[in-house]
Amino acid sequence: MSSPFSINGGACVAMVGKDCVAIACDLRLGLQALTVSNNFPKIFQYGDNVFLGLTGLATDVSTVSDLFRYKVNMYRLREERQIAPRTFANLVSSSLYEKRFGPWFVSPVVAGLDPKTGQPFICGFDSIGCIDFAKDFIVSGTASEQLFGMCESLWEPGLDADQLFETISQSLLNAVDRDALSGWGAHVYIIEKDKVTKRLLKGRQD
Amino acid sequence: MADRYSFSLTTFSPSGKLVQIEYALNAVNQGVTALGIKATNGIVLATEKKSSSPLADPSSLSKISLITPNIGMVYSGMGPDYRVLVDRARKVSHTGYKRIYNEYPPTRILVQDVARVMQEATQSGGVRPYGVSLLIAGWDEGILPEEEIEAKEGEEGKKLSGKTGGILKGGPMLYQVDPSGSYFPWKATAIGKSATTAKTFLEKRYTEGLELEDAVHIALLTLKETIEGEMNGETIEIGIVGPPADHLLGVEGVEGAVGPRFRKLTPQEIEDYLTNL
Amino acid sequence: MPGFDFSNYNRNAALHARGVPLPKATSTGTTIVGCIYDGGVVIAADTRATSGPIVADKNCEKLHYISPNIWCAGAGTAADTEFTTAIISSQLELHSLSTGRKPRVVTCMTLLKQHLFRYQGHIGAYLVVAGVDPTGTHLFTVHAHGSTDKLPYVTMGSGSLAAMSVFETQWKSKLTQDEAVKLCADAIEAGIWNDLGSGSNVDVAIITAEKTTLKRNYIKPNERTQKLKSYAFPKGTTAVLNEKIIRKQDIGNFVTIHDLTEEGGDKMEVDT
Repeated sequence: MSSPFSINGGACVAMVGKDCVAIACDLRLGLQALTVSNNFPKIFQYGDNVFLGLTGLATDVSTVSDLFRYKVNMYRLREERQIAPRTFANLVSSSLYEKRFGPWFVSPVVAGLDPKTGQPFICGFDSIGCIDFAKDFIVSGTASEQLFGMCESLWEPGLDADQLFETISQSLLNAVDRDALSGWGAHVYIIEKDKVTKRLLKGRQD
Repeated sequence: MADRYSFSLTTFSPSGKLVQIEYALNAVNQGVTALGIKATNGIVLATEKKSSSPLADPSSLSKISLITPNIGMVYSGMGPDYRVLVDRARKVSHTGYKRIYNEYPPTRILVQDVARVMQEATQSGGVRPYGVSLLIAGWDEGILPEEEIEAKEGEEGKKLSGKTGGILKGGPMLYQVDPSGSYFPWKATAIGKSATTAKTFLEKRYTEGLELEDAVHIALLTLKETIEGEMNGETIEIGIVGPPADHLLGVEGVEGAVGPRFRKLTPQEIEDYLTNL
Repeated sequence: MPGFDFSNYNRNAALHARGVPLPKATSTGTTIVGCIYDGGVVIAADTRATSGPIVADKNCEKLHYISPNIWCAGAGTAADTEFTTAIISSQLELHSLSTGRKPRVVTCMTLLKQHLFRYQGHIGAYLVVAGVDPTGTHLFTVHAHGSTDKLPYVTMGSGSLAAMSVFETQWKSKLTQDEAVKLCADAIEAGIWNDLGSGSNVDVAIITAEKTTLKRNYIKPNERTQKLKSYAFPKGTTAVLNEKIIRKQDIGNFVTIHDLTEEGGDKMEVDT
């Protein structure tokens, strides 16, 4: 049987721009080669400026996204404030490591803006919570190798919100076209200081 | 089997009082006075270090404790109970917060955790309430952007020099926690034997927009009103929440590392303040 | 952390029994070294993190803070080195607060080996522990199964052989701080060039009785040359089917605020 990470397929990518960040995912949900849905978003919002992308085993994607919704709601009630991206990233990390010997089959990506400084923040995780802090981009999912190649070549520092949208969209679309398990449309979030733009992209349906 | 028939000693009297808690407060009110004053740029905690005998060695005694790098605590009441609470506060700030979020808890969260420990002692079997009141002082980082804080203060029409505390704005926070588990935020307050006298004095002396240096001055003047023995660096204890003490960090070149804000004044520093009184 | 949660263990073990491979954890691949000199100790590490053959992180941090005067270099499973050092750092901080003394390197090493031994090697942390405390300068290695060594110079990780070859040819018993830093950096570079699991930059930490100096990216021999041409796409390249803009100021439209009157306020608390 194939790895739990490649049963359902899916891809996610986050990128840093100038005073903005972007996070994008594909929309496919499959069962091995059979596509079950072309509307399975993998990005979840946990605050004004805090986003989490989850790829991997779809059942765990749903469970883990709900688990963090619970944990973040509890944080907000207890502390009477929104969670900051870095704090959320550490919460994700410690929650995944708690299951060190029975992990969730997910590869999370966090993207957001620091509420105090407005600085972009992105990071990725392995399934047991090791954080990968990056200054450029983070990729995850079955198309991660293709995404690595796309991002390494297309990304450059200091992209503004519009440029960042084109760069992340082209990186994702072209990566998933070379991955049989990902694609079927995409969601792209561009996160700026006082607004979030969510776009639905047209992608190949094969 | 013992725990099955272990009842709480704190039970309601017919008039609706929990007398055990009142007795605990009596213990607090016999304790040595401790006080705290919040300034715009910090907080001061002060108390008298009283020894029952001239033979006692005061240098080994410590009544003000660091809980996290930005939070400190002082008490009035029973010393042994206080030390248990200090250990619990330090431990819970790690297990319940730092090991999850990789940062220290904000002051209010720590205060609530300590208050919960104290409340549980009023409702659990086989234990008695803690015989202490606490003053907990800390500095919160806050999450609001700096310009938004300034804009907010502009709206209210009163210009305050700097932050005045709060989990969103950040800044200094001063809380009192009682044996019942209730807690109160203060600008300035006192607990213990001469709390009433001290609070009356503080009401007269406290002004909005106070600076830390003035707060230390007022703290010493207030102690002077209530103190029984001599005032010197050995008999007074002062803890301050001030600017980050980067020289206490012990490391160089670590990105984002900030020194502790809470520290105790040395006897020499206290002497210096006393001579300038 | 009260302990691990095994609630997914049976599910994952059942999947594994049916031939599902175990998830790939980020490994630090790694070259890490440590070396005592007259007046302190130096530890160093490369900055590559790998996931199988993929370079997962080109500039990760493998020098972990334990206390101001004790630092750890970690190899093996990245999450394990990160969390094992964090939990021991936390325990040592509480211990040092309650004893009122500076933490000692032996205490740190003992806590680490007891923790790792308890998990019988399943926590894949391979560590170099270094520090200066009131009892002197110390340098240890701790293996995932709980065994420890005490040596004047040590190497660990997949690049340990390359790094050790440098130590074995160039180490001498009397070293100055600059010599020790150079020796450690050279040993890491040997790993960067000759071991595929190691790469990118050299991080160095110098620990003395007075202070610790962290030199993050002390040497950067693998800087990427700037691209000569921009690949930024013109606006409108990507076909968009739908767009929704959520502005912070608009969020107010979905929220109504009711000011509570004095009488309607909180009456829960009963003051005696």
